[in-house]
Amino acid sequence: MRKSLRFAVTALVMLVLSASLAMAGAQAERTVDATNPTGNPWTDGQDLSGTEVVLFGAWVDEDATRFEAAMQPFIEQTGINAVYEGSGDFEALVTVRAEGGDPPDIAVFPQPGLMTDLYDQGHVIDLRNWFDESDLLASYDQSWIDMSRHPAGSIMGVWYRTNVKSLVWYPPAVFEAEGYEIPTTWDELLALSDRMVADGYTPWSIGMESAGATGWVGTDWIEDIMLRIHPPEVYDAWVAGDLPFDSPEVREAFEYLAEIWKNPDYVLGGAGSILTVPFGDGANPLVTDPPRALMHRQASFITGFLPDGTTVGPDGDINFFYLPQIRSELGDPVLVAGDILSAMVDRPEVRAVMNYLATGESTRAWLEQGGFVAPHSDVPLSWYPAEDRPYAEIVQNADVVRFDASDLMPGAVGTGSFWTAMVDFVSGDSLDDVLPAVDASWPD
Amino acid sequence: MSDATLKKAIVKPSGVAGENRTRALIAGIPARLFILAIIVIWTVPTVGLLVSSFRTPQAIANTGWWNGLARFTEWSQWTLANYERVLFADQMANAFFNSLLITIPSTVIPITIAAFAAYAIAWMVFPGRKIVFVIIVGLLIVPLQMALIPVLRVYTRHDINGTYLGMWLAHTGFGLPLATYMLYGYISSIPKSILESAHADGATPWMMFTRLVLPLSIPAIASFSIFQFLWVWNDLLVALVFFGTRRPIVTTRLAELVGSRGQTWHVLTAGAFVTMVVPLIIFFSLQRYFVRGMMAGSVKG
Repeated sequence: MRKSLRFAVTALVMLVLSASLAMAGAQAERTVDATNPTGNPWTDGQDLSGTEVVLFGAWVDEDATRFEAAMQPFIEQTGINAVYEGSGDFEALVTVRAEGGDPPDIAVFPQPGLMTDLYDQGHVIDLRNWFDESDLLASYDQSWIDMSRHPAGSIMGVWYRTNVKSLVWYPPAVFEAEGYEIPTTWDELLALSDRMVADGYTPWSIGMESAGATGWVGTDWIEDIMLRIHPPEVYDAWVAGDLPFDSPEVREAFEYLAEIWKNPDYVLGGAGSILTVPFGDGANPLVTDPPRALMHRQASFITGFLPDGTTVGPDGDINFFYLPQIRSELGDPVLVAGDILSAMVDRPEVRAVMNYLATGESTRAWLEQGGFVAPHSDVPLSWYPAEDRPYAEIVQNADVVRFDASDLMPGAVGTGSFWTAMVDFVSGDSLDDVLPAVDASWPD
Repeated sequence: MSDATLKKAIVKPSGVAGENRTRALIAGIPARLFILAIIVIWTVPTVGLLVSSFRTPQAIANTGWWNGLARFTEWSQWTLANYERVLFADQMANAFFNSLLITIPSTVIPITIAAFAAYAIAWMVFPGRKIVFVIIVGLLIVPLQMALIPVLRVYTRHDINGTYLGMWLAHTGFGLPLATYMLYGYISSIPKSILESAHADGATPWMMFTRLVLPLSIPAIASFSIFQFLWVWNDLLVALVFFGTRRPIVTTRLAELVGSRGQTWHVLTAGAFVTMVVPLIIFFSLQRYFVRGMMAGSVKG
C-alpha cells in the first residue's frame, strides 16, 4: 500500500516537473534584432521585424543548416525571423498539415507533382498575384518559369535549387592511362564501351534498387534519352499524357536503353544485378582499386554516397562528363530535378521572403558552401566554388532544359506504373506488355 | 507446444526428487529447444544491427555483418564513428530531454485515467456501462492515422499545435483505449469476495479503489507503463504531425541525421542502440512487476 502511494506521488511529481519545464522551454524563444528593417529590397519599405515565417521542406541535416545560412542575410536585413523546419516525410506531412488547417507559410517541394495537387486543392497561392512575370524573368530563364506553371496558367512557385541529372561518372585515372576520350556523341559512347570490353573492363555500373521507389533510376535514363532523340515538344506531350507510352517515339527510347542495359558485356554483374544493386552504391565500383566498372550515369548528388575521402574532379578519384547527345540537330538538352518554393499563406512577411528567394542572391551562401546549383539566371559563375562550376555551366549552356518527367506525371504513373515498367523491362518482359500497362494506369 | 507443457517444464523440476526430475527434464527438452529457437530467431537481427553499428559504412555495404565476426581481427572495418555521430550530433542532448518531457506525462496521464475508468467499468454499477465498454473496445481498432487530420484541425483552432500539451493529449487519447481495456481485464479479475468484505467493513468506493484495487493492480499498471512508454518514446508520426521539428526530439532528430537522400543511413544502426538505452532502463527497473503483469487478465477465475 505504501508502495502504491509512493508510485502515485512519484508520478505526480514527474508530471508537475515536466509541465513546468515545458513552460520554461516554450518561453526561451530566440529573438531577432534587425539592423535595417525598412531599407532593404524585400519588404517594400515596410517594417516587418519581429514577425515570423515558417518554411517547411524535405531538406534535413546538412542541407537544412546550409539553407538556414542562406536565409541569414535576409533575417539580418529585415528582422523577419524565417524559420526552417525539415522532415524526411515532407510529402506526407505537408498534405496532412494543409488539410489540418496548419499549413507552413512556405513549402519547399522536392518535385512539382505534389505542388500541383495542393494547388488544385486550393492550398497554394498563385504567384501572379504577387509578382509580374517580367520581374521573374530578371532572375529566371523562360524555361524555368514555364516549368513552374500550372496547366491553367498560374505560377505556383519559384525554383530554388536544381540537380543536374544528365551526368556520367568515371574514374579519370583509368581514362588517362588507357587513353580513353570523353565521348561527345552517343555513338562514341557505345564505341568507348566496346573498347572497354575489349580491354577487359566492365564499362557500366547500374543500380536501380531504391526500396519502395525502385525504378526511378530507369525512368531518368529513359527521360534523358527521350530528350536526345525527340524535340522538346514531343517530350512535353509525353509528360502531359498526349503521347502514349505505347508509341514509336517512346519505344525507340527503350530500344536505345536496351543497347546498354541489356548487353551482358556492358553491365557489371549482368542485367540481373540492375534490380538488386542499391542506387546509392551505383558509383562505388568506379572508385574501388582496381575499378570494377568505368562509367555510371547519375545525378550530381551521387557524390554524397561515395566512400568518405573520395575526391571529385579531373585529378580526383572520380569525375563526370555530360551524357552525350544522340541527334546533333537537337543540341545538348539537360534533364534536371529541383526544389521549388510555394507560398501557402498570404501575409506581408511571407511575400518578403518569397521576394528574397526569387533572386539569385538568396542562394549565394549555400552555393558558396558547395554541392548546390541554382536555377537563377542572375547568379554569376564566379560565385560557385571551382568544383561546382562545371555543373552550373552545364545548366547555363543547355540548349533545352526539361524537368524529370516522372516527377511531373500524375502520381499513379510517375511514382507508380512508370517505375514498375522499368522493373518489368529489366526483368525481361516484352515492350508489348510493359508499355500498354503504363498507358492503362494513366488517370483520366 | 501448449501452455501446459511450458509451465510443466518451468515449474516441475524444483523440489521434485530423483527419477521424476530426470523424466521431467527429458519431457522438457522439446519445449526448451523451441524456446531456444525462438530466442535465436528474435535476437539475430538485433545482433546483426549491433555488429553493424560498429562497422564502417563501406564494410557494411561490402560484406554482411557475419563476415565482420568471422574476420574479427580486420581492425579497419571497426569504428566508433557511428556512435560519435549520433551522440555528439547537434542538439542530441536537447532531443533526449524533450523526448522525456513528452514521454513521461504521456505515460502517466493515460494510465491514471485508465485506472479510474477500468475500476468504474468493472465494479461500479451505473447505467450504460456495457455500452461504454463496448465503445472503448471498438476504439482499439481505429487506426490513429485516421484521426490525424481531424485532431490537427481542433489543435489549430485552439492553438495548441506544436506544444507539449498537444503531444500529451494526443498520446493520452491514442493510448487510452488499450490502457483501459488492459487494466479492465486485470481489475475485473480481482476476487469479488475481497471487495465485498471491504464494502461490508464500510469502505467507500474511493477507499476501495485507492487501498485495494490500485495496490493489487501494480503489475498491470507497470506492464502497461512499459508499453506506453516504448510507444511514445519510439513514436515518429505523431511527433512529426503535432510537434513539428523545430524543437528536436530523439526520433525526429535521428530521422534528420540520415540526410536528405538517406546518404548517411549507417548512423541509424548506432542510433537504434542509443535510443534503446532509456526504454531499457525503464524496463529493467520495472521488470519485477512486468513479469507478473504479462499474465494480466489471463489467470482469471
